[in-house]
Amino acid sequence: MGSASGMIGRWAVVVSLALVGTTAIAHADITTERSASILIFPKILFDSTGLQTGVPVNTIIQISNTSNSMVFAHCFYVNAVPPDPTRPPSVTNVPIWQEVDFEIFLTKQQPTHWLLSDGRLDDPSDNKSCSTDCSGAGFDPGHIPPAGNDPFTGELKCIEVDSSGAPINGNHLKGEATIVTTDGKAEVSKYNAVGVLGLNTDLNSNNSDNTLCLGGGVSPSCPTGAEYNACPQTVILNHFAEGATDPVVEHLGNGPSSVSTELTLVPCTEDFENQVPPSVVVQFLITNEFESPFSTSTTVTCWGNFRLNTIGAVGRILDVGTLGTRFAQTRMFPADDSQPGFVGVVEEFHTQPATPAPLISRAAANLHDEGARVRGDIILLPGAF
Amino acid sequence: MRRAGFLSAAVLVAFSTPAIRAQADVASDQAAAILVFPKIVVDTSNPPNTQRGPIDTLIRVSNTSDNPVSMYCFYVNANGHCHNSGTICDPYDRSAPNTCGDTDVCEAGWHESDFVVHLSPRQPIAWLASAGAAPCSESASGLPCFPLVVSGQPPNRVQPVPEDPFIGELKCLAVDVNVVPVESNVLKGEAQITRSQKAAAGVTDVLDVETYNAIGIPAIPGTNNGDATLVLGGGVCVGGPSAGANCTSAAACPGGRCSAEYSGCPNILVMDHFFDGARDPVSQKIVTTKLTLVPCSEDFEKQQQVPVTIQFLVFNEFEQRFSTSNSVNCFREFRISDIDRAGQDRSIFSAAVNGTLTGQTRLRGVVGDNPSYGYTLLGVVEEFRNGGGTAAFNLHFQGSRPQSDFVYLP
Repeated sequence: MGSASGMIGRWAVVVSLALVGTTAIAHADITTERSASILIFPKILFDSTGLQTGVPVNTIIQISNTSNSMVFAHCFYVNAVPPDPTRPPSVTNVPIWQEVDFEIFLTKQQPTHWLLSDGRLDDPSDNKSCSTDCSGAGFDPGHIPPAGNDPFTGELKCIEVDSSGAPINGNHLKGEATIVTTDGKAEVSKYNAVGVLGLNTDLNSNNSDNTLCLGGGVSPSCPTGAEYNACPQTVILNHFAEGATDPVVEHLGNGPSSVSTELTLVPCTEDFENQVPPSVVVQFLITNEFESPFSTSTTVTCWGNFRLNTIGAVGRILDVGTLGTRFAQTRMFPADDSQPGFVGVVEEFHTQPATPAPLISRAAANLHDEGARVRGDIILLPGAF
Repeated sequence: MRRAGFLSAAVLVAFSTPAIRAQADVASDQAAAILVFPKIVVDTSNPPNTQRGPIDTLIRVSNTSDNPVSMYCFYVNANGHCHNSGTICDPYDRSAPNTCGDTDVCEAGWHESDFVVHLSPRQPIAWLASAGAAPCSESASGLPCFPLVVSGQPPNRVQPVPEDPFIGELKCLAVDVNVVPVESNVLKGEAQITRSQKAAAGVTDVLDVETYNAIGIPAIPGTNNGDATLVLGGGVCVGGPSAGANCTSAAACPGGRCSAEYSGCPNILVMDHFFDGARDPVSQKIVTTKLTLVPCSEDFEKQQQVPVTIQFLVFNEFEQRFSTSNSVNCFREFRISDIDRAGQDRSIFSAAVNGTLTGQTRLRGVVGDNPSYGYTLLGVVEEFRNGGGTAAFNLHFQGSRPQSDFVYLP
């Protein structure tokens, strides 16, 4: 018996080790180019007068079902606009962090879209074809509310669920956000939604409760362990130093130009049930073209959106004058393991002199990621009534 | 002894899993050993020689590791040339005028030129496709340059693209100091395409910037044999008791070697897009989408093109389905409503035919009968609005296939 239990114990160790390895495999990464079970649009903007964003802007959201079955999703707008939109967020102008949710459904391989400013009404009368003005044409994916405020700055998160609304690991959703200025110049930037893969889609390791476990092991909140991939341990950004010139504009003889970079970060942990905004201290490790290291930090609560030269404001560490080179690589990570992970998106603003006003062109890109958080993150959905 | 054996087994299990873990997917958001920039464009003449210009591409690459790494890079010149006169022409844009004249035709070309760049730990570098880059001590003011010389290596020097105007691809792979491919998943990159023009007689000020992430193909640890044939996906165990079995990692072939040195390219590409001719509901401008595709397999040694037939499956917002096909040899830029060679308002990629604003298109390279190629594709998408407003973004990927792709180095 002792021998048998010893053997069982050894096998248990072996299996445990194998499972640890398997867990490590399953928690590999987030993605911006594979369909997933959770879509995160870190930056969605609607500001009809430019009060908060400086320029009138709106966002087109596109989501597709990449499978041959009907797919349902539970989506959350997270409004992070400050109460006084004429001033930037601060301790005296704390963002409202208001969540509003809705459900969508997509038939086989169906793409859909809506404007953040308008949402999309479930209107059978608009199910007709168009030739040019096609907004709203097609099967409505449900009744999508418009942004709750004008201006609205924040995040959209969509979670794949079954027909009863319970989370499932289908990995059938992909999405894009197109940010378009409405000032007549129609500056456009576009990025892929960040996808978090559900684990073991064939077995559906998701226990379908309201606590979504992104990475990490078994815990009281996550009795069956991870249900989704973990958020990255490190997020990497290649960027211009703030205020550096754009070499293309300069080379074509159209300078003097400048480039500014806006970074948007959202914590992976979110509590939609208790409306508690999560905070993470983000460490920045910067390397310039001389391989010289710099570092700074900032705190992101619920939703952070900032120009690089407002991080580590003392000395403006990411300014071209401080960094000393035009380009840099910045690695970002939580200050310690107890803090939430985060994902994000970056947008560059290139400026070229012109009459009567300088031209500004914007371009968005997805961030690179590295590693997987061991501790994991939790998204707590609103409970049943 | 038995305990030692048991512990060895446990340790083996524990240590073998990271090798499996390391077999990552092709991705544009993770560092990798091969970077693919599917679209590089240059036209710096003023007035421009093409409808794209004045335009240039800034290439940005960085080393994400604490160790130095070298890159072996290949420009693929896909310019067209007039058959008789040899002047540069655009073989991809059906709406562009035939600059070769009535008695000449524009033929798509394919030619590679290569260079080596050394990166120190964590170092970001950049260069303009039109101008290349040199050590800062030799560089013209305002151009990106190389401020550092990596210890023990010659100064970096990147040549400009071979022609101006230029359209083509850039591919870079991690190598050691002897230019032998290495399993270092440490490269990340972005391409920034900028159209810039100053107001003058007949032209207005223009600034239009778009950025996309380079597509990374990760190396599979423990499988690279260091030769000049890079095997992407479709692994089979060579030698050992598992010989002939499919593999995706070195651990799957004990006593042998997995033939796949890099992750396989995706089986299917997925593109969400506006249908051509639709009106952007925000800006009210007409939207056109361009798709650029390159084959995953490339033969830089024999300079041979890799012909791939592409099947397109299109769904609109009514779940209605359309399909068509076309082909790519080494590089192809499509306006999507040109893919089915129909008129602008008759294409299955036009809003007039589909009747909805957006669509989802799935692309699949058809497997051919030459085992030297895998017939998969990579690409990037660009959205254009009439009167300005451009954005680039990466395609989505789905699955992998049992065939390997091959990159044959010179």
